[in-house]
Amino acid sequence: MPETRLLFKNIDVPGIDGIDVYEQHGGYVSLRKAVLDMTPDAVVQEVMASNLRGRGGAGFPTGRKWSFLPKDGRTRYLVCNADESEPGTCKDQELIYRIPHLLIEGVLTSAYAIGAEDAFIYLRGEFKGGYRILERAIAEARAKGYLGENVLGSGRRIEVNLYLGAGAYICGEETALLESLEGRRGMPRLKPPFPATAGLYGMPTVVNNVETLSAVVPILQMGGAEYAKLGTERSAGTKLFSVSGNVRRPGNFEVELGKVTLRELLYDLAGGPPEGHEFKAVIPGGSSVPFLTPDKFDTPLDYESLQGAGTMLGSGGVIVLDDRACIVNATLRLMEFYRHESCGKCTPCREGTMWLNQVLQRVESGEGRPGDIETLADLCSNIDGQTFCPLGDAAIGALGSGLRLFHDEYEAHITKGGCPMGEVVR
Amino acid sequence: MNAANLQKAQELVHRFPKKSSALIPILHLVEDEFGYIPEAEVQTVADVMGVTPAYVESVLTFYTLFHRQPTGKYLVQVCRGLSCQLNGADELSHFLHDELGVQRNGTTDDGLFTVEEVECIALCKDAPAVQINLEFYPRMTKEQLKAFLDQAAKEVTSGA
Ligand SMILES: Cc1cc2nc3c(=O)[nH]c(=O)nc-3n(C[C@H](O)[C@H](O)[C@H](O)COP(=O)(O)O)c2cc1C
Ligand code: SF4
Ligand code: FES
Repeated sequence: MPETRLLFKNIDVPGIDGIDVYEQHGGYVSLRKAVLDMTPDAVVQEVMASNLRGRGGAGFPTGRKWSFLPKDGRTRYLVCNADESEPGTCKDQELIYRIPHLLIEGVLTSAYAIGAEDAFIYLRGEFKGGYRILERAIAEARAKGYLGENVLGSGRRIEVNLYLGAGAYICGEETALLESLEGRRGMPRLKPPFPATAGLYGMPTVVNNVETLSAVVPILQMGGAEYAKLGTERSAGTKLFSVSGNVRRPGNFEVELGKVTLRELLYDLAGGPPEGHEFKAVIPGGSSVPFLTPDKFDTPLDYESLQGAGTMLGSGGVIVLDDRACIVNATLRLMEFYRHESCGKCTPCREGTMWLNQVLQRVESGEGRPGDIETLADLCSNIDGQTFCPLGDAAIGALGSGLRLFHDEYEAHITKGGCPMGEVVR
Repeated sequence: MNAANLQKAQELVHRFPKKSSALIPILHLVEDEFGYIPEAEVQTVADVMGVTPAYVESVLTFYTLFHRQPTGKYLVQVCRGLSCQLNGADELSHFLHDELGVQRNGTTDDGLFTVEEVECIALCKDAPAVQINLEFYPRMTKEQLKAFLDQAAKEVTSGA
């Protein structure tokens, strides 16, 4: 099963991080077409026709999001979410570090479409190297007239501003990101109002993921209708999947949504399990979603099918566990992450992740007590749907399904006083 | 802050549509210069921003990349995210702590190295991943880490 490369089409071309090589491979044609031949509304229509859905996790239709901006003459902002912190996800990183002009072109084209003069790219603090790479790309684009006071002589001003976060997973949540971008603690805002009506500095704002904005470039190249023919009716286009964990060829793979099964991704593209081992379970959408077991591996990779299989496509971060992995240990590791990253604003998440962590810890270390599994399930249901932002539900995604699918493993840790697999070999 | 950074900070105040956005970039300047955010600098930042030191404090404590204690010349951060853990991150981390004789999240006595275990750094396909002073080191092995430590220590003793 081959990849279908649109975003990754030229990623292996030597020197593609420089503007000249990028231009030689069709770079900035979409921006030219948009700015010189199309009205902003026509660009929005193309993206609408493409059926592109947000690649940051929630899968909201991008064109629809853009169309929500009120037409009231206020300053508008475009914010690119480059916070990529969902464990198991490393696709935006590869786009930024290897083909930075694709993102810059996508940001400029999208800013033109929604009528934003200032676009911001919010990078997680750890992407300091990516910051420098984008800084250089912006300087090159400026020298060619693609951004600045007068984009391609059109009279339009578009500026791209880089902003470096400072270490906080929650800043990937769009309203927490806006808080952080305004120089505050990254705590989520109450919605509504949504960013489209009151976002950055209180102004109408679109927040989109790196992969989403990069996809605008091929969409304009091929036309929205052509793009929509890729994938399935409701899951259009291509998507990057990051495959990591216990797998022979980890990597980012770009495939047509719905045309490739999880099994094909894991075996044909990622090379199958490490020598002498079998796959045990997969978390397919970043660390925040339920497990899938091998009996579900024939599920096609698209939003609807994965939902039908009881999990979510999420960010496309596919974490693979083989027969050496202990599910109790893995879910503990994830819970430590969510406890650490809970912003503390609401009680169910702040206290819930703390207690879950504590109980899981003792189960994992062999000091679990009868009733602990019920306690874990109870704690999960006290978080489920009860938190201020989706981080709460994210925290219990893997654990909740782990308790159901691997109940015996949790049980055995309690009755046997430790991991029945012995010291976990890594 | 040194004079150059102070000037950069004063420029940053006017860089964004609203002044408040300058705070995190300015804190980055301080962290880069000192390897942490010294108490005295909190006051300087507050003055530049026109806010109280308590406010600066409340923001900086939210973010893990801002340190309250001095860090070593090399900040070695080992990813303990699940994908890295499945690929031997624990072993790397133990090795590093043993080799340098430091506690978890500790700094060596000579101030050369600080070791931290951090959450996923978006290099999962290149697990186990390490970052040193925020530069990525993909697919790390104990041997490579050892070579790095030796090289860094040698450069310092030779005064480079
Ligand atoms: C806890 C949490 C973390 C998130 N982290 C990210 C992230 O790192 N990157 C991202 O693009 N979206 C992230 N999101 C989703 C954003 O809130 C938002 O939906 C997204 O940036 C919208 O862009 P899109 O429509 O292009 O997907 C996160 C959401 C939550 C609740
Ligand atoms: S759910 Fe967690 S991260 Fe979200 S607002 Fe509540 S405490 Fe903060
Ligand atoms: S889990 Fe280590 S980089 Fe993602």
